[in-house]
Amino acid sequence: MRKELLPGLRLMLVLTIVLGLGYPAVMTLLSQAIFPKQANGSLVVVDGKVVGSSLIGQSFTEPQYFHPRPSSAGSGYDATQSGGSNLGPTSAKLLYGAVTTDSAGKKTVSFDGIEDRIVHYCVENNIPYTSSVPLSQFENAKGKLDDVKLIEAFNDRKKPLIFTPKIQIPADAVTGSASGLDPDISPANAYLQAGRVAKVRHIRLDQVRTLIAQATTKPSLGFIGEPRVNVLLLNLALNKKYPFRK
Amino acid sequence: MTFVGILQILVFFGIIVGLTKPVGTYMYRVFEGERTFMHRVLGPLERLIYRISGIHPDEEQSWLRYSGSLISISIFSFLFVYLIQRLQGYLPLNPLHFSTPHAPSFATAMTPDLAFNTAISFLTNTNWQSYSPDTTMSYLTQMTALAVQNFVSAAVGIAVAVALIRGFARHTVKTIGNFWADVTRCILYILLPICVLSTLFFVWQGSIQNFNGPVTAHTLEGARQVIEQGPLASQLSIKMLGTNGGGFFNANSAHPYENPTPLSNVLQMVLIFLLGASLTYMFGKAVKNTKQGWAVFTAMSVLFFVGVFVCYWAEQRGNPIIEHMGVASSYTGTQPGGNMEGKEVRFGIVQSTLFATVTTDASCGAVNSMHDSYTPLGGLVPLFNMQTDEVIFGGVGAGLYGMLLYAIIAVFIGGLMVGRTPEYVGKKIEQKEVKMAIIAILATSLCILLFTALSSVSQFKSGGYWNPPGPTTANTNNNGPHGFSEILYAYSSGAANNGSAFAGLNANTPWYNLTLAIDMFVGRFLFIIPALAIAGSLAKKKMVPVTSGTLPTDGTLFVILLIGTVVLIGALTYFPALSLGPIVEHFQMLSGKVF
Repeated sequence: MRKELLPGLRLMLVLTIVLGLGYPAVMTLLSQAIFPKQANGSLVVVDGKVVGSSLIGQSFTEPQYFHPRPSSAGSGYDATQSGGSNLGPTSAKLLYGAVTTDSAGKKTVSFDGIEDRIVHYCVENNIPYTSSVPLSQFENAKGKLDDVKLIEAFNDRKKPLIFTPKIQIPADAVTGSASGLDPDISPANAYLQAGRVAKVRHIRLDQVRTLIAQATTKPSLGFIGEPRVNVLLLNLALNKKYPFRK
Repeated sequence: MTFVGILQILVFFGIIVGLTKPVGTYMYRVFEGERTFMHRVLGPLERLIYRISGIHPDEEQSWLRYSGSLISISIFSFLFVYLIQRLQGYLPLNPLHFSTPHAPSFATAMTPDLAFNTAISFLTNTNWQSYSPDTTMSYLTQMTALAVQNFVSAAVGIAVAVALIRGFARHTVKTIGNFWADVTRCILYILLPICVLSTLFFVWQGSIQNFNGPVTAHTLEGARQVIEQGPLASQLSIKMLGTNGGGFFNANSAHPYENPTPLSNVLQMVLIFLLGASLTYMFGKAVKNTKQGWAVFTAMSVLFFVGVFVCYWAEQRGNPIIEHMGVASSYTGTQPGGNMEGKEVRFGIVQSTLFATVTTDASCGAVNSMHDSYTPLGGLVPLFNMQTDEVIFGGVGAGLYGMLLYAIIAVFIGGLMVGRTPEYVGKKIEQKEVKMAIIAILATSLCILLFTALSSVSQFKSGGYWNPPGPTTANTNNNGPHGFSEILYAYSSGAANNGSAFAGLNANTPWYNLTLAIDMFVGRFLFIIPALAIAGSLAKKKMVPVTSGTLPTDGTLFVILLIGTVVLIGALTYFPALSLGPIVEHFQMLSGKVF
């Protein structure tokens, strides 16, 4: 056995240098020379400032922008904490959300849940729905929807709030991605948001729809993967063509 | 399921079928020590490595010495990975200052039990990640500790398969090759060239490859977004080709930098299967009957197709509870439908479920979707793939030697049926081979079931050292049967050296780190050592001529027998555990029960 130990140590030393330092160094040099944009993160620069990466999703909540998918990366689109919700199909937390109470008795949303996302998606995008209890009962003093109340109502197992949209919601709009950094939404999701964006920006619906069509990436070679719309690039195109003034 | 969906699966498989023969032939030549076109470029480096390491490549080894060399490199692999991790705070290329007083607030501590678990994980080709790389590992640790092991552990696995092939191909000799030469040649002539090409492809598609620190972006809504960078693509290539699977980022191949497009996704899956599939051809070529290799290939393919279609169907069908809320479940051409929780839009259902099946058919364990959020039956497929020891093309080397052990058991059962001494590719299969094959298969099952049971009932003091959350079931992210599935998945993944996870389980506690390390260690070495013992024993035997009483092992009958053996052993061992996890959850999901 002792005869075997020395080659093991020496080989590991050599391989650590060749494969651990040499290989990544050479690949970096080659990549930087041939594909510098991609190798450095496909960063998007506007007016000399980095506004993000075309591959990494970022948070959008304002109505004049298209919104990305829900995200479980950190507090949402945190690119230092990539990951999904890891909640399974029978998880009440995933389906109906969860509320935590802090030591002072204040309730906060710890996870919004699919039902709550559907409510917001319908209200924001003016999608018709039916609700077993009028949504106005879940508004706070400012007239905005109170998520804590909604989530508690969905979790009420005896008499849960039943909320049903009248058209089908695209699955990607109300589910979190695996990375929490998904840069894309489905075209169906984008078209459902087009009305809101057009109204807030005071432009015609077909102008927004044209931009969506231009921003849609088709499956590779026509059949591999899914059609998709990059949210950041679409919003940048919107800003460029139809600048938004508050 | 749609036509385009099925087409994507078939095209992927067509690529594998097309590459199996040329790559298999090339591998055969490399391991026979023949000169190939790559020797002109890399030959001097090979000789230099031999000279520095004091290796005599032509010195033949017995199976015991071959195992000794394998254990030697594993010991140093362990020490290197452990020490580099523990010392990363003092070493360069650590732009986020992990393991130093200047570490960012989100950083995770590199504790001894975490470093121990990771070292075992990477030397066993598992790449189970109790840590989150985004918040734990410096660039130097990723490159010199983790990625180097991705090469070495892959080469070790292939070397064992090559040794076992030699056991079948040689006769009346005591030796099975030279371990050091097999590992060196595998790395230089097979792994490295393919990695160089695929790295460039991945960068072209959008993967990063740099040594920059994190970039701070100012988003359109005026927020700050810190985007981590690093030498990712070079590690990504070997992570897939070596069926290692340890992600550069926490989200693994779901992270847009780690898998930017559907095309990069297809290449990643091809890399996972490439060497495992080619080894079947190399096996056939070595035993001078390529039909033997294709028979094994066919058995693997059938199991692959069953898995991928069940998984695809289950995920596209989606979760009826969510569908009932008014969410689209059918594919429409403008949106993917189905169970999109934990899946990326660019991959949709097809490319996600195909990847999940491929990564667990092989012992890769990279993920492009979160298996924890799969429907019960969709998640059952990866789970069962791992529990049957990943013999469907399998981990590099591990898939073939695993399947050959199953073949030994299959001919043994066949022999019992007709009352003759079983034979496989010209070698009599006797007591020793069958015993060794059964040890290998039982050891992994024992580990999986024993540790799952322990972790389902163990109680620890809340806030204590061993498991701060308290009872070991408190580490799960889901309640009800899905929580049990998370634990079962973890130990199945460990023992099978896969490394994928139902990632909701918080496994970074001393209890889980230690038990999973044992699990991975047993799954690796109690499989490898018996396989090498079989290789040594077979090499000594005479060739027996084929007679009318020989069960042909290159035809349909044998393929069916082999598939039956794999499925039956898996089903008999794991059905009770699977019933408590995904199977009961499936019926609960259908009846709308939630936890």
